[in-house]
Amino acid sequence: MTHPADDAFLSLTGISKRYGGVHALNNVDFHCGRGKVHAVLGENGAGKSTLIKIISGVVRPDQGTMMLDGQMVNFQSPSAANAAGIVCIFQELSLMPDLTVSDNISIASPPRKFGLIDAKAQRMRAEELLASIGCEDVNPLMRVRDLPLSRRQMVEIAKALGKSPKILILDEATSALTSSDVEKVYAMLARLKAEGVAILYISHRMHEIEALADNASVFRNGRHIETFAKGTRNNDEIVQLMIGREISAHFPPKPALKRPKPLLEIENLSWENRLDHVSLSVGRGEIVGLGGLDGQGQKELLLSLFGVLKRVEGDVKLDGVKQNLTSPRVAKSAGGGIALVPEDRKTEGLMLPMSIAENLVLASLDELSAGSLVDETKVSAAVADAIERLKIKIGSPEDAVSTLSGGNQQKVVIAKWLMTKPDVILLNDPTRGIDVGTKQEIYRLLRELADEGAAILFYSTDYDELIGSCDRVAIMYDGRIISELEGDAINEKYIVSASLNIAGQKSNGGAHVGH
Amino acid sequence: MTDMTRFSPLSRLSRDDKPIAIAAMFILVILIAGTCYTLVRFGNAPLLTPAYLIQQLQIGSFLGIIAAGMMLVILISQIDLSVPWTLAAGAMTATAVGGEWALPAALGVGLFVGLLNGFGVAYLRIPSMIFTLGVNAVMRGLMVAQTGGFAPQTAATDLMRYIAAERTFGVPHAIFVWLAISIGMVILLRKTTFGRAIYAIGNKEAAAYLSGVATRRVTILAFVMCSVAASLSGVLLAGYATKAYQGMGDAYVLPAIAAVVIGGTNILGGRGRYLGTVVGVILIVLLNSVLSIMEMPEAGRQIIYGLVIISMLLVYGRGEKVAS
Repeated sequence: MTHPADDAFLSLTGISKRYGGVHALNNVDFHCGRGKVHAVLGENGAGKSTLIKIISGVVRPDQGTMMLDGQMVNFQSPSAANAAGIVCIFQELSLMPDLTVSDNISIASPPRKFGLIDAKAQRMRAEELLASIGCEDVNPLMRVRDLPLSRRQMVEIAKALGKSPKILILDEATSALTSSDVEKVYAMLARLKAEGVAILYISHRMHEIEALADNASVFRNGRHIETFAKGTRNNDEIVQLMIGREISAHFPPKPALKRPKPLLEIENLSWENRLDHVSLSVGRGEIVGLGGLDGQGQKELLLSLFGVLKRVEGDVKLDGVKQNLTSPRVAKSAGGGIALVPEDRKTEGLMLPMSIAENLVLASLDELSAGSLVDETKVSAAVADAIERLKIKIGSPEDAVSTLSGGNQQKVVIAKWLMTKPDVILLNDPTRGIDVGTKQEIYRLLRELADEGAAILFYSTDYDELIGSCDRVAIMYDGRIISELEGDAINEKYIVSASLNIAGQKSNGGAHVGH
Repeated sequence: MTDMTRFSPLSRLSRDDKPIAIAAMFILVILIAGTCYTLVRFGNAPLLTPAYLIQQLQIGSFLGIIAAGMMLVILISQIDLSVPWTLAAGAMTATAVGGEWALPAALGVGLFVGLLNGFGVAYLRIPSMIFTLGVNAVMRGLMVAQTGGFAPQTAATDLMRYIAAERTFGVPHAIFVWLAISIGMVILLRKTTFGRAIYAIGNKEAAAYLSGVATRRVTILAFVMCSVAASLSGVLLAGYATKAYQGMGDAYVLPAIAAVVIGGTNILGGRGRYLGTVVGVILIVLLNSVLSIMEMPEAGRQIIYGLVIISMLLVYGRGEKVAS
């Protein structure tokens, strides 16, 4: 029997999928081969997720055919796709927070002895899988809830490997990983590649694509635009294919700013064993970045400034006035107002089934109401303003916010807080898992807000982002600020060495090193 | 999975309106089936007379008031299982106190129970299913203890009878009470910041909290409204039955939850329209009445009653999957 001209392992032909009136995928052809890393590129809403969902049996296409290893396949469910060797690591983590790591890894088919689950074998299996991706530090008996996001993502990857994939799909699977983890994932992918596994790789980080992919396919508005081999296109060309328009500078220029008078002053803030005498100030018009490895207290610092954490020691001052921040409601109206764009938009930022309008006004309802009655005229004007200002792409404000793409959902979260006109804006990794175009809009917006007089404190796991958009960067390590970088010192080398707490660069943050 | 392109009149309704339309159609089915039965059996159609329908609304108003309060609690993804003895305690307090303080005393009992429930759920973070069940048992014990040693007054006061049983222009006053509460509910849920907060908390409490919504205060208020509604309903029921008695609320908690859910409110909170709860109450009251006209034995009534609730929810559930 002869093979068709291309020896594609997985081959999709003429695939279309509609949701209501929207073409999520429109007559798409897609092929990938064994032992290759195939990148799938495109902005949010380009159809990447739908493509992945079709391949992994989560949704079925309206039209078109799918061939796997020369056989026509039509998966009725994700487990059918799993059985055929297609394993997907989704952007939304699929772990059960209250089960242990080892329970999670073997959740679908735990090792059994006499028909009962063999806990010991299960633990050993988890240990092996975690070791194979360099995560010996994760104890398989820990509950997933107690792990930081980056470790959870590694567990998710271990879980996928446990299903011995023939096609492994990584959908933004590295978006929450630290740089050292990313290295481990690269090594694992190289190993799988050598074993002949076909890998589909979705990421918004261009340098990852560059380092990993053998082939890349670009999608835009539900259509397949182009597939090309590694090295035949440069970054600018790729970005242009993705967005279909020219992009100018990646980051808006930073103003030559002398240190303004501090608006937000944090003095000796400590909380349990996660924050250790943190002192930092942010002035009007300033964007200050928080950097460092994941889980070094950055999230706790933002939460404590927003009144979420209880029994925080130390002082927080706004315009020189000491604040007693006991809840987000208090923080929202403290001084000129504090806003927090939280880490996870799906569980902390938005009510997904509720409408865009309802989500937008939630934080500013008090200002949009007369007494306790909501003023509908004010509300619809404010909603229209916010949608206009952030250029949120929507059908109607009454649509559920879950119908929006990830980037637009994040814009709704940000818009919701801008409607409260805050003086201090805290952001927890606001560009995680969103597309290049939206990221740039967010950078521009932050700079505009700073120019209008806001003080912005901004945690990011992406070094490029810290370098490109921040006036100052404070690096955290083990609950302390170990270094504050300014001006030319904000570069990758200093950020990385400070994050790893390697001595030898100027430090003026926490003077006390060690315990 | 179901074909997305299939079109029926129902699919044009919004997802919140669909259950209401289905429940309303089912009410018609009950009325038609009941009328056919009486026509064949007795040769008349009492179900379609205004007198019968008004009487059903009067009976429905007791359940309707409870269901209104229950809906608030369900919308914030909680449940109140202390309704039966809150209702009985309200009624028994009203009759025991008597005179003009009867009604305020009963509502005071409701307020107290609601604050207790709200505190337990919002501050102590005890799951409402357990906490309110415990409170229900405590209330029951208190009421039995109160009536155990001596026999307090159990007859309803004139005012209670006036509100619950007497009529103006042929319409029982209880219906006016239900109507007033219903108008209040619609305004509360649609027009106030409190209403917005209720839906927000039911959808995602963490996101509501991080948006600066006073989640604890709203939770407590929802439980207070639920308990006050239950105690008010107890006062009305005592007025209607002319006396208060132990266990008078036992038959109300499940129908109240069922009415809310049949009306399309998501049992997990965050979604539902008040009109649906009204329709759900009417459906349950009519179903009960028609089954008793048919002289269905108690066992059969319970089976049919349960099957109706399950099958209605199955219908809604399927619609939900297609929509998502």
